[in-house]
Amino acid sequence: MKIFLLFATVCLWNQSVLVVTADASDYVLCAGGTLAKLASGGAQITLVRVTNDDKDSVNLLPEETANRVRQESEAAAKELGIAKVIHLGYRAGELGGVSPTELRDRIMFYVRLTKPDVMFIPNPYAEYVEVLDRHYTGMAAEEARRTATMPNHQPAHAIAGLSPHIVKELYYYSAPVDPRRREPEGPAQFVPQPVVRDIAGTFTRKLRAAQALTTINQAMAAAIHRRLEDTGRRLPLFDRGLTESAVAKLVEENVRGLAALCAKDTQFRQAEEFHHAGPDYQVPLRYSGAAKR
Amino acid sequence: MKRWLFLAVASFLQAAEPLPLVELPKGQTFLVFQPHHDDHTTDYGMGGLIARLVDEGWKGWFLRASNDEKDGAASYGVNDQVNLRESQAAGKVLGMEGVYSMSWRNDYMDSIPLLELREQLIVLIRKHRPDVVLGHDPWAHYDRNPDHRKVARALAEATWMSGLANVHPEHVALGLRPHRVPVLFLKARWDYGRGHEANVAVSLTAEQVRRKAIAYQTHRNVYASPAMGASICKQLEAEGLTATELDGLSDGDAAVRIEEWYMDWISRKVGAANGAKYAEIYYRVAEFDHLPGLKSYLEKSQLKK
Repeated sequence: MKIFLLFATVCLWNQSVLVVTADASDYVLCAGGTLAKLASGGAQITLVRVTNDDKDSVNLLPEETANRVRQESEAAAKELGIAKVIHLGYRAGELGGVSPTELRDRIMFYVRLTKPDVMFIPNPYAEYVEVLDRHYTGMAAEEARRTATMPNHQPAHAIAGLSPHIVKELYYYSAPVDPRRREPEGPAQFVPQPVVRDIAGTFTRKLRAAQALTTINQAMAAAIHRRLEDTGRRLPLFDRGLTESAVAKLVEENVRGLAALCAKDTQFRQAEEFHHAGPDYQVPLRYSGAAKR
Repeated sequence: MKRWLFLAVASFLQAAEPLPLVELPKGQTFLVFQPHHDDHTTDYGMGGLIARLVDEGWKGWFLRASNDEKDGAASYGVNDQVNLRESQAAGKVLGMEGVYSMSWRNDYMDSIPLLELREQLIVLIRKHRPDVVLGHDPWAHYDRNPDHRKVARALAEATWMSGLANVHPEHVALGLRPHRVPVLFLKARWDYGRGHEANVAVSLTAEQVRRKAIAYQTHRNVYASPAMGASICKQLEAEGLTATELDGLSDGDAAVRIEEWYMDWISRKVGAANGAKYAEIYYRVAEFDHLPGLKSYLEKSQLKK
């Protein structure tokens, strides 16, 4: 057993992970616990953050919002043990006007540069996720994983010393709003499968990472407060105003709620849900069967 | 063709589990965002819910995003004008306040910048501050109509992004305040694959269904045509069937009667499948559905002021 654990640790130690996120909060809330666990095992994690989150704040101009969220997203990534953050800087909420090919190729560059064993990307097929930047980012990242393997996609990369790369494993993450997210859409050979990962051991780090995103969190709290006020309701948590501690508590409720929702009907107490394309994905059965034998 | 549609819809409805019959949310204003003149009166949703909202004191406006120039047998310009007039008339039948026509080119919406269309919706949301928005389900599958898909996608973002002051801050400078739409009722054909799966049913009265039926066949440029009435009567005759209720009616009146029957039948069928006399079904996005981790906490912890 000890030898197995040592072997597993050594394997993880050299593992490279690339996380693609549309915005600062999505990957933290959906995959933060799992990423913290990988980082603890020694994985080298790189984050590509596609938009600059310039829209979501209280009484701040877009430029100031973007600057603050950039710093806060680096702090959040640090909490999770992410080694490097790359900010692509697209304007938030405007990916619908960006060329999907351009976005794909920018992500593909980082696939070839960091040569990940595993990628985490937003699930573009998750339904009722209202932030469509996550859909566009997911589509581009999924495609980037494929095109990164082919030398005729952006052959100029080869001149710069970037060779094609195959990413062996892929996790799709999304907020648990799709009512049918746990229904497998087909066999694992063809379709990524719903999986649940235990995050009890890294929950606290995930929470700290989420709380580090103070600008976005204040905006979320203010929006909830406004909605309740406008409809003659109140949240006792906000009775002393939207204080730092009240907002931090709201974030804690959110992260706890998400972890409990994802752990529902599983053996875990706190969890995250994914769709996982593992080693068998898109490998014809006759080959995967032979490999297993 | 219509018979096959009847059978497909009937078998789908019989197989489905009953949906919860929901009360309308609290509020007073609603907007309907659709690409076409007739999308608010279709058999698979909107007209009945609109009539019920109006009956319960709400005020509503309809947005027609396209110019409907292809819909009808006339030339582009004539179709555009006639369809708009009929849309306004149908809106009145349902009790709506008015129609905004964005007049984008029908079925050629691919070239419209999505963000520009989205901004038009955001302006209307900020002006009217709706408590509910109705529209096509952006996550529905197999909708062959490109306009449905485009407007639904614009709706998906406009309804929440309109709540952010940094989205089009120039609107705020003009006095429009940010407003997030708390509740959506989304429709799509039930028999178009598994993308759209309704989660609620809304019960209707016979009077609301009657207005829905009238609103539907108010679109005479495309529905209830005398040719359709004649064709169905001819088919009945060929099969040795009679419908005494159609005896002595002109082809046009027969067509209207048939459309009314169809709307009554489908609304009754949906109602029976969901524990009501008449109903429509929707995917409802409720006020805190976008915060799945907080939804139950907010429901438990909120208090009346």
